Amino acid sequence: MRAPLAIVVIVAFAGCADAVAESGGGVRVIVNAKNPATTLSKQFVADAFLKKRTRWRGDDAIQPVDLGQKHSVRARFSRSILERDVAAVRRYWAQLVFSGRGVPPPEVADEDAVIAYVAKNAGAIGYVSASTTLTGVKAVPID
Amino acid sequence: MRWMAIVLTIGAFVSSARADELPPEESAIQIHGFVSQGALVSSDNNYLAKSERGSLEFSEAGIAMTKQLDSRLRVGFQLFARDLGPTGNYSAKFDWFALDYRWRDWLGIRAGRTKLPFGLYNDTVDIDAAHAVVLLPQSVYSVTNRDFLLAQTGIELYGYRPLGELGALDYRAYFGTFHYEVRDTPVLQVVELEVPFITGGRVMWETPAEGLRIGGSFLGGAITGDFIQLGMPVSLRLEQTTYLASLEYTADSLVVSAEYGRAFSDTTITRLGMPAMTTPNSSESMYAMASYRLASWVQPAMYYSLVYPNVDMREGRNGRQHDAAISVRFDITPNWILKLEGHSMRGTASVQGALNAGEPLANRWYLAAAKTTVYF
Repeated sequence: MRAPLAIVVIVAFAGCADAVAESGGGVRVIVNAKNPATTLSKQFVADAFLKKRTRWRGDDAIQPVDLGQKHSVRARFSRSILERDVAAVRRYWAQLVFSGRGVPPPEVADEDAVIAYVAKNAGAIGYVSASTTLTGVKAVPID
Repeated sequence: MRWMAIVLTIGAFVSSARADELPPEESAIQIHGFVSQGALVSSDNNYLAKSERGSLEFSEAGIAMTKQLDSRLRVGFQLFARDLGPTGNYSAKFDWFALDYRWRDWLGIRAGRTKLPFGLYNDTVDIDAAHAVVLLPQSVYSVTNRDFLLAQTGIELYGYRPLGELGALDYRAYFGTFHYEVRDTPVLQVVELEVPFITGGRVMWETPAEGLRIGGSFLGGAITGDFIQLGMPVSLRLEQTTYLASLEYTADSLVVSAEYGRAFSDTTITRLGMPAMTTPNSSESMYAMASYRLASWVQPAMYYSLVYPNVDMREGRNGRQHDAAISVRFDITPNWILKLEGHSMRGTASVQGALNAGEPLANRWYLAAAKTTVYF
């Protein structure tokens, strides 16, 4: 009975860890596997995706990557982390683009592309749905 | 144009030296643009265009190109053309062009022609897609002041500083000049016109209260000119300082904003053989605006705007401009919007004399505006 019990405990623990890593709205924030960050504040992530903050703590550039505007995971991320809908975020970027103050993060087509981008670029940060299998990147809990 | 050449040359040099720091998705040239067509019709008083008969002279087009050269350095420009009644006439100009070096999040520098940060919306006043209304409150964001208030050529320092539990500060300061033109008239010929300086800044505090930001803006500058008036030389110096307090609250689909401003100016005129004469003036402007997105495709908005061009002469229709507006924005597709708007006006302080020469003005009047924009 001990082995099954251990498995139950491990599975339960893994489930808890996953729940912590989930940032809300069924979305997980992911960073490059080499990124030393173990936890991020919701405000930091929002600032990173709105490019108000552009540097990690060690001064490396933050490289956010977005999903396409019609992707359901982007809508959930936008609501739960940026606290505005995708249309409002589009308006935010229209203001910056056409006034010469910034350009939006690159957009990729699907979650596999997000993971590939984050795995390839040391300063990258992205998001995927909580159920997506992660390879070469790590999920960061949002405190 | 000289500034433009310098900015692009430096940008090209740095680009070739350091472009390898970025992933290709970030270093690609970004091209964005917009095209707008509007219409104005008023019950009385020609406003911004020959609106009494209805006017379609309300067009804008812009194209922006930006390239991120490395993680700190960006270069870009925007060409903009418009036609609004007697102004613009589709003459394309550089709306802005800048080399932007963001050394740290709390300190960056832009060199070139940059939009003026004044209040909540001045640097985005041309960007139809960014706003719920056709005409932003004209007491603060007068389109007739666009030549003065839109952009400056010089240096801008900017930054963003998180304050932990206290929220964050967003700040910008600038110093430069701008090109200003006045056309000759039958009685007045322009010999020389200069803007010795324009300076100012804006601080916005993103408060710990979710969605609430408050701030203040300052703008100061001078214009000097030499003219020939009816054959006699005349010198003019205008000095002005403007202050604006701003508040914006965003909660889900609701956006509420309010601003209050004062402007103080001294106009000194010197005529040959006569002592200089200085005329002070003080104006007051304010508005409150609210918008609510009912659905992703529809957003009604309303505002009340009031301006007194001379606080010592508030009485009479020329002494004030009340403007109560209601508007609806439809996002037909993610790249195509349509706005419909109605204004109830009292006063004629914002009515341009040149558009109404010889015609009696009405104190109470109404304006309808429509505008459609495609952007990408």
